[in-house]
Amino acid sequence: MSFRQTRVMIRAALTSLPRRLALSASMALSVALVVSTLAGFLAMARGFELALAGAGSPLVAVVLGGGTNQESGSAIPPGTVHALSVLPADTGLARDAAGHLLMSREIVVPVDLAEAEGGASRTLALRGMDAAGAVLRDGVTLTQGHLFSGGARDIVIGARIAREFNLHVGDVLRLGPVDWTVAGEFAAGGSAFESELWADLETVRATFDRQGEVQSVKLRLTDPAALITLRENLAKITETPLTAVSEAELYAGQSGRTAGLIRLFGWPLACLMAIGATAGALNTMMSSVSDRTVEIATVRALGFSRFSAFLATWVEAVILAIIGTVLGLALSLIAFNGWQASTIGANNARMSFDLAVTPDVMVWAGLLGLLIGLIGGALPALAATRVPLTAALRARG
Amino acid sequence: MSTAETMSTPLAQTPLPDMPVPEGPYIALENLRKAYRIGGQTIPIFSGLDLAIPRGDFVAIMGPSGSGKSTLLNMLAGIDRADGGTLRIGNSRLDQMGEGARAAWRAHHMGIVFQFYNLLPMLTAAENVELPLLLKPLSARERRARVAKVLDLVGLAGREKQRPGLMSGGQQQRVGIARAIVSDPDLLLCDEPTGDLDRASADAVLDMLRFLNTEMKKTIVMVTHDPQAALQARRTLHLDKGQFLEETRAAG
Repeated sequence: MSFRQTRVMIRAALTSLPRRLALSASMALSVALVVSTLAGFLAMARGFELALAGAGSPLVAVVLGGGTNQESGSAIPPGTVHALSVLPADTGLARDAAGHLLMSREIVVPVDLAEAEGGASRTLALRGMDAAGAVLRDGVTLTQGHLFSGGARDIVIGARIAREFNLHVGDVLRLGPVDWTVAGEFAAGGSAFESELWADLETVRATFDRQGEVQSVKLRLTDPAALITLRENLAKITETPLTAVSEAELYAGQSGRTAGLIRLFGWPLACLMAIGATAGALNTMMSSVSDRTVEIATVRALGFSRFSAFLATWVEAVILAIIGTVLGLALSLIAFNGWQASTIGANNARMSFDLAVTPDVMVWAGLLGLLIGLIGGALPALAATRVPLTAALRARG
Repeated sequence: MSTAETMSTPLAQTPLPDMPVPEGPYIALENLRKAYRIGGQTIPIFSGLDLAIPRGDFVAIMGPSGSGKSTLLNMLAGIDRADGGTLRIGNSRLDQMGEGARAAWRAHHMGIVFQFYNLLPMLTAAENVELPLLLKPLSARERRARVAKVLDLVGLAGREKQRPGLMSGGQQQRVGIARAIVSDPDLLLCDEPTGDLDRASADAVLDMLRFLNTEMKKTIVMVTHDPQAALQARRTLHLDKGQFLEETRAAG
């Protein structure tokens, strides 16, 4: 019986919505705004994480020197590089058909590239690597042209850079003091790799005056557990403190910091907006109670419970919040999902990524939207239970 | 009257629990006190009001504005509380009940007819009439049957699906009466039931109230400004400054 009362009260509340359309619509819209703001920030953080997660493989070990766990600032002495290259066969490191270790010495040089003729330039990561470097990376496919070859000033560009800078195989561009020719283009599933330019290690070192320098060494592992063996061997072959992390860990660490920072901005901003929207919801629902005073008082006089008046008002608030939430999420999906953003990545170079409105993003933003309805509707719902029956019954309904 | 006979059968299908009727009047007010506090000032409405209404009576209460008519009706309806004294209806002491108990009591024992009908505009006539039945353990079918009977009784058969906004004042008040009697209460409280109606509609409503009193044995308490309306009651009580001044009995 209580359910019947509540159901008819909810129906009465909802069917009277057109009487207060403007206020109700403004409440739904303000919820939509909060939801899409939070969804935007979370989608940015999630997109950044996905771009870096896509770049990292647990089967690739990254050896870093100089007491850092990032490529920038890392340095590995030549002697150590040599010692690594002659590690015995049973150490869990993968080799090619000829028995050579799948290993790539790498450095990253920030280079400036103009977006268009006379346009603003952006800093990109030019990665010098050994020939095995491209093979070492999982999920990378050469879509056009060929890989760089030793000696020539060839570069291979990530698909994102090709798109953003409108570059094609055969184009010549100036990076640093010399011109380079685009030899090929690769795709990496939208991951952070696609924001890099790859070239031959020796050529990069010669061009940018970094002779003998190695920032990191990439090694392919036979299985993820081999990383532990590698760490043990590193301690044996050199006294230089070296760090070995999996490529997955390296990129997860980078994404964790930046994504955390994005969320650190996003949540407080969305919460502040949510407080405003909750105040708006409170106002809207108070108006609703005021508008329905005679109806609430009438059914209460007939014997309906306070609880049914409470629940009907609360449900109205939650339904308006749900409408706003659905609208906000739909807007986020349409406007943000796949929208390209960029940031300064770990190597002080630009990294592009797509915003990702993933299910977890939608759940968090949706919950905040619902919370606005639940909190903003609670007090007015309480007010609905305290409608003065005596005065209301004399009012013209 | 045949209509009344056909009415009494379906309404009696789900009888309310039997109430042992105590000795004495059906409605008894003793030394009832009520005052309003407005801006730090206490305005006394009743300072010891007594009233006795036997079961089956039809009482009109008249009086100038501010005499306490509405306050009295609100207290009889249990939507306002007395400051002191006793208020008994049947064997229930309304003055001793909490808010929830009074709401439940209203649902089972009382129908209210409002001056401005107080119909929910978004519901159809049948849905408005059905509202009190939602508080009772009846199936949807039983509720529909009861609603159809009372709408027929008030002369609105065939208008079940019409919304109040499309009805005349007289028709709306008839829906209001149907809603008040659909759960077969013992007591009907009418708050200026003809106050918003033209003469012809008012007369039709009064005829109906008289019928409910004489044929269906409802006890009716009606607050009114309308002397014509008061004439339809068995007796009229005149209230002024919180006191009953005189009583007029209907001729015959």
